[in-house]
Amino acid sequence: MTNERRSAKLTAENVSVRYEKDDKSFLAVDDVSLAIQEGEFVVIVGPSGCGKTTFMNIFAGLVRAASGKVYMDGEEITGPSAERGVVFQQFALFPWKTVAENIEFGLKYRGIPKAQRDETVRKYIQLIKLEGFERSYPHELSGGMKQRVAIARVYANRPQVLLMDEPFGALDAQTRTIMQEDLSGMFLTEKRTVLFITHSVDEAIYLGDRVIIMTARPGKIKKIIQITRDNLIPDRRQMRYDDVVNRKEFLDLKADIWGLIKAEILEKHIL
Amino acid sequence: MARFLQRLGERIYQEKIVLSISSVLGFLFLWLLVTDVLGLMPAIVLPSPEKVFFTLYEKILVPAGEEKLFGHVLASLVRILVGVGIALALAIPLGVLMGWYEDLDALASPIIEVLRPIPPIAWIPLAILWFGIGLGSKVFIIAIGVFFPTLINTYIGVKFVDPLLIRAAQTLGAGDRNILWEVVVPASVPLIVAGVRIGVGLGMMCLVAAELVAASSGLGYLIMLGGDDLKPELSITGMILIGVLGLIADRMILRFERKVVYWKKE
Repeated sequence: MTNERRSAKLTAENVSVRYEKDDKSFLAVDDVSLAIQEGEFVVIVGPSGCGKTTFMNIFAGLVRAASGKVYMDGEEITGPSAERGVVFQQFALFPWKTVAENIEFGLKYRGIPKAQRDETVRKYIQLIKLEGFERSYPHELSGGMKQRVAIARVYANRPQVLLMDEPFGALDAQTRTIMQEDLSGMFLTEKRTVLFITHSVDEAIYLGDRVIIMTARPGKIKKIIQITRDNLIPDRRQMRYDDVVNRKEFLDLKADIWGLIKAEILEKHIL
Repeated sequence: MARFLQRLGERIYQEKIVLSISSVLGFLFLWLLVTDVLGLMPAIVLPSPEKVFFTLYEKILVPAGEEKLFGHVLASLVRILVGVGIALALAIPLGVLMGWYEDLDALASPIIEVLRPIPPIAWIPLAILWFGIGLGSKVFIIAIGVFFPTLINTYIGVKFVDPLLIRAAQTLGAGDRNILWEVVVPASVPLIVAGVRIGVGLGMMCLVAAELVAASSGLGYLIMLGGDDLKPELSITGMILIGVLGLIADRMILRFERKVVYWKKE
């Protein structure tokens, strides 16, 4: 394990998390171990409330494990860091800051001079296609626009690791597809390590090098599918989303993963 | 001109100005009814509205003797402004720091919790002992009145900042102090301003109370003088002016709020 810990970008060793609610204690994550390699795109799928978000927050340094430890580059994670950027499900934009100011936020703490910050902000506003909205406030934007700003804010900060919690969950189908293609493209050009959480099996297969299926609460790893290593869907990163999702390999894989999640839901009587 | 009339018309329609004006007129009519028309109340107990307005008019135009109106308004205004200024300068920083640093909270809370329920008026004897009957004692009483609501609201505002925003700032690399100034303080501004509004309202009450007890100027003194000299119209004049002053203060704070909390959804 120690060697693996040193070579992997992110490592979780026997992590368990407990939650206190109404004087009762729940096990949210149950003894999960995982190593994510540098440059790998890992997607976690699982039934609602399975502890996916909690597990991600441990890597972010925002939640403490009851037992077990997490590491980045072999160093124990003890708190949040700009090297592990988080895209939150609920946007978490600063409502009193403009679009440009939100994107600029992290750059200030990296000691980047103002001119260079402005340059970066311009570049990312272009990337998320929000030219003309630089001076708008979050309450003036649609849900999709807000989420794009939230993503740009983290990308602009250039963290080594991206932790994304259902970042496209609030988007309409069209915007979602565009954002998925953008992310996939960006992942190819600016190789980063990504841990991505989603409800959408399609999204998981399209984006992930590796898809991790979690059990219902308490969350454990049920199965890991190695899409890239086992070359399950060749060349998918060069293809458009709509073309990928109609391929036979994709549909078969989707049926398999759905089967696993459904079994989990039925078995634990979540519905 | 046509445009102006149209806008005026829209305003009247939207803000139901007609209703508001009728209620004021109705109130004046009732007042007139019980005094001049039916004579239910003798003038020495409740003067008629026109007598009050005449007094008001006279005092504004012909300032003379002890009843110089402008001087009283100015005296009250100075007291309230200084009192509010001192209270805000102390309450907002203390509230922010107490909300953010738990040690300071634990240190200061017991004292504040004991002092807070004491009505500001109860401080009057001590205030006179400590600061005399000049500006100091009134400012002190007003400051006490403004201080606690502002402090409590600021504290709550800081305490209940959406934790998600703090988490977002942390994962973007902001340190503790940066988060306090860049996230927590701006996020609590709406509650702080609401606290100031409550505080200033209470401060006006304290102003009058302090001036009733120990003063030789100010609107509270004028109100007191009206009672002593059996000139109720003088008291009512002072009351109206206090009301107007309070209204202006409240509207100014509301305006300020709209300006600084531009980012909240309508």
